[in-house]
Amino acid sequence: MNVSYKRSKAASKALSYILLIGVLALFTGPLLWMLSTMLKTKAETYKYPPSLFPETVTFEAFERLFTLQPLMWQWIGNSVLISVLVALGTVVSSSLAAYGFARFDNRAKNGLFFIVLITLMIPASVMIVPSFVLYTKLGWIDTWLPLIVPAWLGGAYYIFLFRQFFMTIPRELDEATYLDGGGRFTVYSRIVMPLSKPIIITASIFAFVYSWLDFLGPFLYLKSSENYTLSVGLQFLIGQTSQDFPALAAGAFISILPIGVIYFFAQRYIVEGVVLTGSKG
Amino acid sequence: MISSKRLDGWKFLLFIAPWLIGFTIFFLLPFGTAVFYAFTDARLPGSTDFNFIGMSNFSTLMGDPIFGKSVANTIYFVLLGVPIVTTGMLLIALLLNLDVKGIALFRTFYYLPTLVPIVATVIIWRLVFNSEFGVLNGFLGLFGMGKVNWLGGAGMIKPVIILLQIWISGSGVLIFLAALKGVPSHLYEAALIDGASRIRRFFSITLPMISPSILFVLVIQTMYNFQMFTEAMLLSNGGPNYASYTYVFHIYKAAFTDLKFSMAMAQSIILFAMILAVTMFILKASNRFVYYEGEGRG
Repeated sequence: MNVSYKRSKAASKALSYILLIGVLALFTGPLLWMLSTMLKTKAETYKYPPSLFPETVTFEAFERLFTLQPLMWQWIGNSVLISVLVALGTVVSSSLAAYGFARFDNRAKNGLFFIVLITLMIPASVMIVPSFVLYTKLGWIDTWLPLIVPAWLGGAYYIFLFRQFFMTIPRELDEATYLDGGGRFTVYSRIVMPLSKPIIITASIFAFVYSWLDFLGPFLYLKSSENYTLSVGLQFLIGQTSQDFPALAAGAFISILPIGVIYFFAQRYIVEGVVLTGSKG
Repeated sequence: MISSKRLDGWKFLLFIAPWLIGFTIFFLLPFGTAVFYAFTDARLPGSTDFNFIGMSNFSTLMGDPIFGKSVANTIYFVLLGVPIVTTGMLLIALLLNLDVKGIALFRTFYYLPTLVPIVATVIIWRLVFNSEFGVLNGFLGLFGMGKVNWLGGAGMIKPVIILLQIWISGSGVLIFLAALKGVPSHLYEAALIDGASRIRRFFSITLPMISPSILFVLVIQTMYNFQMFTEAMLLSNGGPNYASYTYVFHIYKAAFTDLKFSMAMAQSIILFAMILAVTMFILKASNRFVYYEGEGRG
């Protein structure tokens, strides 16, 4: 009896690991295949059946990538700059608005906050064409302005994120500041923000990552190749050299690298941000 | 002299000014313009040379066979794709919720594909699914299977895109995982004492307890699949033979290749109405299956 119980327990444990390894293979297999491909010679990628590991490890693919597409560095720089500016703007503008919604007693407040929540539910693709018309009229096409300026004007998801966090900071601290002669802005800058470091980190990581991942915006708004972000540049590259598998894999690897590094160092913040409101782009 | 209450009201507006300005310029204004243009024949963004044509954009759409195809494909991704992807997320979350050694390591990796830029994802999938040199056909070849034309066959492309969605479904898995952790363990203990089987425990405890998260993921995934576009454009450019040509693809084509902006606006408005209606329907129907703690059956 006891032996068979133990045996079935061991069997279910083995089954668990088999399933887990199967899922791990599904999730990381394609990424490993990318790594393997980018380290191969071009000739080796035309073999059938394909070799799982490169016969000789070579970094030729990266050399080819950067000679074929000298703008690669420019694109990487553009993406970094845009994503940093988006993260900065998101934190500044959304925290200000969130502070308004968390701390003021105003008749219009609840109604306006309800609108913030509603805009969270507006499907993004409905706005693609109308926004394009607006940016055309503003003369913003082929500039980075459509990618950056909206981030400096508050995002519904981030306002919600900040507000939820601000609500947990006790108001007694505000009162003490008022007694010392401080105003609303002093409370925001000296009390609330310094106490909100975790949510500031989460919000800036999210804003950076989502800006980095954004494809459709840059793809529609940027026209000249020197303005491209890395994603749009890679798409351009696919059209240029669709049969150079190692170079394409190398390009994909470069576009994943910054986010991969952020993920491994700040996994906790990313997980929290997703769970908090269940963001999905 | 302004009263302090009044002054505080102005300060409130000052704090929320960034959002108020952003909402007005980048949402209200374009949305209003869209509704206006949908009833005109404007061909270019910002053109002033147009006529009001009433509902003709809408009636033209109904007679467009390509539009019909785009709707049919989108319905496929919503009706078939959403349940498959959501079930996939739940199964993966259940697996990652197992209490075995080293589980943290497994949990770290499943989220990585979700953070891969979509163009890189498509490059990777083309490498894996390439019919001549891809690793998948190479692997299947070991079992004596012939080469499958994954991306070039009209019958295969939609399932491949749904599989891709599961590959990047980390956020949904994360939400389910958090919900599973939130189920009070005393419920399972009580069920164990009553001798409930594993399957019974899943259907009588786990599923009802995480039903709010299921609803949430279902709504988000439905909205997402209604808007399926980037994956289909990059992976197969809507083809082969319109097999992955979706509703939003048709909007994109009307606006940016056919230069029929007013038509694209009309389509955007229909999409908005459809998503709104379906979301409302799901929320309404959810009363039957979602369990909210402390309220009994909602």
